[in-house]
Amino acid sequence: MKKYLYAFKFEVMTTLQYAFNFIGKMVSLFLMIFVFMNLWNFMYDDPSQAINGYTKFQMIWYVSISELIYFVTRGRQTCEEISKHIKSGNIAYTINKPYDYVVYTLFTLLGRSFVSSAFYTTFIMIIGSAFTGALPALTMVELLATVLVFALAVTISLLLVIAIGLFSFIFEDSSPMYWIYSKIWLICGTLFPIEFFPVWAQNILKFTPVYVITGPSRLIVNFTVEGFVETLIAQIIYLIFTVGLCELVYRKGMKKLNVNGG
Amino acid sequence: MLTAAKNQIKVTILTTKYAVMREMLNKATFLSNVIFMILNNSTFLIQWFLLLSIKESIGGYDIHKILYLWGLASLSYGFAHFFFKGAFHIGELINEGKLDSYMVQPKNILISVSTSSCSPSAMGDIIYGFVLFFVNQPSVLNFFLYTLFGITGALIIVLNSLSFWFARTDSIADAGMNLMTTFATYPGTIFKGVTKIILYTVVPLGATAYIPIDVLTNFDWKYTLIILGFTILFVFLAFFIFYRGLKRYASSNLMSARI
Repeated sequence: MKKYLYAFKFEVMTTLQYAFNFIGKMVSLFLMIFVFMNLWNFMYDDPSQAINGYTKFQMIWYVSISELIYFVTRGRQTCEEISKHIKSGNIAYTINKPYDYVVYTLFTLLGRSFVSSAFYTTFIMIIGSAFTGALPALTMVELLATVLVFALAVTISLLLVIAIGLFSFIFEDSSPMYWIYSKIWLICGTLFPIEFFPVWAQNILKFTPVYVITGPSRLIVNFTVEGFVETLIAQIIYLIFTVGLCELVYRKGMKKLNVNGG
Repeated sequence: MLTAAKNQIKVTILTTKYAVMREMLNKATFLSNVIFMILNNSTFLIQWFLLLSIKESIGGYDIHKILYLWGLASLSYGFAHFFFKGAFHIGELINEGKLDSYMVQPKNILISVSTSSCSPSAMGDIIYGFVLFFVNQPSVLNFFLYTLFGITGALIIVLNSLSFWFARTDSIADAGMNLMTTFATYPGTIFKGVTKIILYTVVPLGATAYIPIDVLTNFDWKYTLIILGFTILFVFLAFFIFYRGLKRYASSNLMSARI
C-alpha cells in the first residue's frame, strides 16, 4: 500500500508544479456554468418556482457540482493516455514492475484529482455564490458526509474511465466508447437531475453509474440521511464492481498482448 | 494568376485526398469513429427534448431552429476538422519549430499545413449535420444555404482557432475552442448584454451560427451577403496576420520527414 501512497504523493507534487494549466480549465468550467446559468434563467419565470422539484438556486448548484466532478475526472485525457499506453506497447514495461497496474494508475489519477478538486472546488464556490447569491446550507456533519460521497464518486468515475481505456486491448481505439459514456453521463445526470426524465427512464438510470457519480450533487442541494445512505451503499457496490471490471479487462488484455521489440 | 490559383486548388485537393487515405488505412477504426461520433452527437437531442418539454420555445427557438442550430454547428465543426485539422495543430508546429518542411514547398504554407491531416470522426459530424437537415423541413434553397453556411462556418472556426494559439498555452487554446463549440450549440437569444456583444464580435458566432439560422428560417439575401462578406474579410485578415507572424518564425533545425 505504501508504494501506491508514494505514487499518489508524487502525482500531487507534479500536478502542483503545473498549477498554471488549471487556469484554462477553469475558463472552460466557468463557460459551462455560465451558459447553464443563462439557460436556467430563461427557463425559470420566477426564482421560487420549482421545476421537477428543483428551484433555480438548487438547479444552478446541482449543475455546478456535477460539472465539478466531470472536470476533476478529466475523462477524455485519461482514457486517451491509457489507450496510447496500450497501443504503443509501453504497457509491457509494467509487467515486471512490483505493482498492480490498475491500482497504481488509480492512485496516480487520484493524486491529480486531489489537487484539481481543491482548485476547482474553491473556484466553483466563488462563482456559484456570485451567480446565486449564497452557498448551499449544510451542517458540518452533512458537509463531511457529502465530501465522503464526493471522494467515492470521483474514485468510481476514474475507475470507469480506466476500464474504458483498458478496452483498447480489445478495440484498437477505445475513445469512441468514452464519447458515448461521457455524453450519457453529461446528459443523464450532469446537466439534468434524473427527476427530469420520464418515470420509466428514472427506474433505469437509478441502476447506472451516472446515478452514483452524481450523488454528491443531489445531496448538496437536498441533503437527507436516507439519500446519503442509499448513495453510499450504491457507491460501495459500484466500487467493488469497477475494480473487478478493471482487473478483469487488464488481465485478459495482458494475456493477448503482442509487442514487437526494437 | 489564374494558373497559380488552379495549381493551388489541385495541390490542396491532393493533400486532402492523401490525408483521408492515410486515415482510411484501417477501415474498421475509421468506420467505428464515424458511427460513434453520430451516436455521440445524437445524445444531445435528449437534452433539447427535455428542455422543450418544460417550455415550448426557448428564446424563440423551437425544435426546428434547435435542429438547425445543432446541425449547422456539427456540419461546420465537421468540415473544419475533416478538411483542415492541421490548422488546429499549427501552434504546436510553430512552438516546436517544425514548420520548415512546409516552408520549402512552393505553395501556400497556411493551406498546406491546414490540409495536412484529417480527423476521421469529423466525417460523423458532417453526416450528422446533413441527417438533421433532412429530418427538418428540407428544401432545395435551404440545402444550398445550409451547405454554404457549413463551409463559411468551418472557415471562420479554423481561422479563429489560430488566434487562440497566440496564448501559447494548450489549456487556453482548448478553452478558446470550447468557448466556440459551447456557445454555438445554445440559442443566442438566451444571452444578454456584454455576452451578446462578445458573441457577435470577439467570438464570431453571430456569423457562424445565429445569423445563418435566422436566414435559414426566414430567408434574407442581405444577411446572406453579410455572412459571405464577413467570411472573405476574415480569410484575408487571417492570411495577412499569419504571414506577418511567419516573419518572426525561428526554425529549430529539427530534421523531420513528412510521410
